[in-house]
Amino acid sequence: MSAPRFDGKVVLVTGAAQGMGRAIAVHMASLGALVAVNDRVDDPRLHELAHELGGYVAVADVSDRAAVFAMVADVRDNFGPIDVLVSNHAYMTMDSFLSYDSADWWRVVKTNLAGTFWLIQAALPDMRSSGAGRIVVTSSIWGVIGWPEATAYSASKAGLISLVKTLGRELAPENIVINAIAPGVTDTPQLQVDADSAGVPLTEMHKIYAQSIPLGRIGKPEEIARTVAMLADFNMSALVGQTIQVNGGEVRSRV
Amino acid sequence: MTNTRNAVVTGAASGIGAAVMRELQGRGWRVAGLDLRAAGSDCDVITNMADGVAVNSAIAEVEKCLGPISAVVSAAGHYEIIPVLDITEPVWDRMLSVHLGGAFNLARAVLPGMIERRDGAFVAVTSELAIGGGDGDSHYAAAKGAIIGFVRSLAAEVAPHNVRVNAVAPGPTDTPLLAADSPWREPGYLATLPARRLAMPEEIALVAAYLIEDATFAVGEIISPNSGAVI
Repeated sequence: MSAPRFDGKVVLVTGAAQGMGRAIAVHMASLGALVAVNDRVDDPRLHELAHELGGYVAVADVSDRAAVFAMVADVRDNFGPIDVLVSNHAYMTMDSFLSYDSADWWRVVKTNLAGTFWLIQAALPDMRSSGAGRIVVTSSIWGVIGWPEATAYSASKAGLISLVKTLGRELAPENIVINAIAPGVTDTPQLQVDADSAGVPLTEMHKIYAQSIPLGRIGKPEEIARTVAMLADFNMSALVGQTIQVNGGEVRSRV
Repeated sequence: MTNTRNAVVTGAASGIGAAVMRELQGRGWRVAGLDLRAAGSDCDVITNMADGVAVNSAIAEVEKCLGPISAVVSAAGHYEIIPVLDITEPVWDRMLSVHLGGAFNLARAVLPGMIERRDGAFVAVTSELAIGGGDGDSHYAAAKGAIIGFVRSLAAEVAPHNVRVNAVAPGPTDTPLLAADSPWREPGYLATLPARRLAMPEEIALVAAYLIEDATFAVGEIISPNSGAVI
């Protein structure tokens, strides 16, 4: 076969205004995909990205089930039925367990875990109609190993791994294939949250993280994007329900 | 990305090795095939991977033929189902020396150059049976499981030199390694797989190519295209 191509495929990428989501949208478009780019608010960055890629702006707060279904219907009616869902969005806060604001704790879980659940529910009918689909979910290294003061985020990302395992089994007979990525420390704006929590500047945070990574550096969003393309490849359906770790060797484990 | 597009694939004469060779060639790589018989590669070297001295001279020959090597895939292997008490010492030794020894010998031969050039991707082929085990698979699973431990350790050791070590762990795959009457081909077994079918060698090759070309931040990772046999 050959390196993945997505000519004419409609790909919905959530959390696409910046960071990994933006890199995924750019990479998938470079491989021929028609990309619908989602984020929580109607951000000029989304419009610029959609314009640049010939894509479609799809705004919704994914923690809101009705908003997700309305967004997916809008993409379907005005851009095309969804072939590939990349559930990449995330919301993260950090706090010690007993002082964590419970509303904020649940907001993390509702955005990351439930949001992915609603997206899959909304996009599945398109995939069933066409007889094939690919779903790629962004989990996290912290969903694999946990992290202090990240109880909500780690729980939500670990939940995604189990959701992917279960839906891998449930959907593969229909040629709807779901897998996850667990990125390690990656150079995205989200790292500012970690830096703030640690009370150090962002550049210092990068150095601190790189020290515990065998490859000696943090990851780039483009490296995650290339993994998404591999997992979304319609020429491959033997890879099912797996979580691919892309972390520079910081964690080497079975997920 | 790697600096050259020269690769070595062991077990290139058939099955997964042959599919990996074709996939890499299709992406512009020149591939040397190491096998017990001719692989039809860009530089065939008849090699017994269990023999460390032979592997060293094979790699030297490949470097003369192609130049510096940026990627290797250790796919040589054999498979047999034997109840544990029937596994004799020679059978055990052969299984370990081909699979684990083959990966070890290949790593010893190619890593000095990769480390010196700070450029390399090493991909080992292990197995779903290394993760989940199987009835009658104890020596095969032991050998393939050892490869996983080897890969994760080697990965941590050489990553600082910008050499990435990873593995692919296929499930039952439609290759000559599975005989026509293999239990892995029985419809009753295939029905238990989420994908409902054997993996194709071309799919395993796509994962190997990903690990070489695109997985530039993956280190010590084991990817499992196994039709959902082990999730």
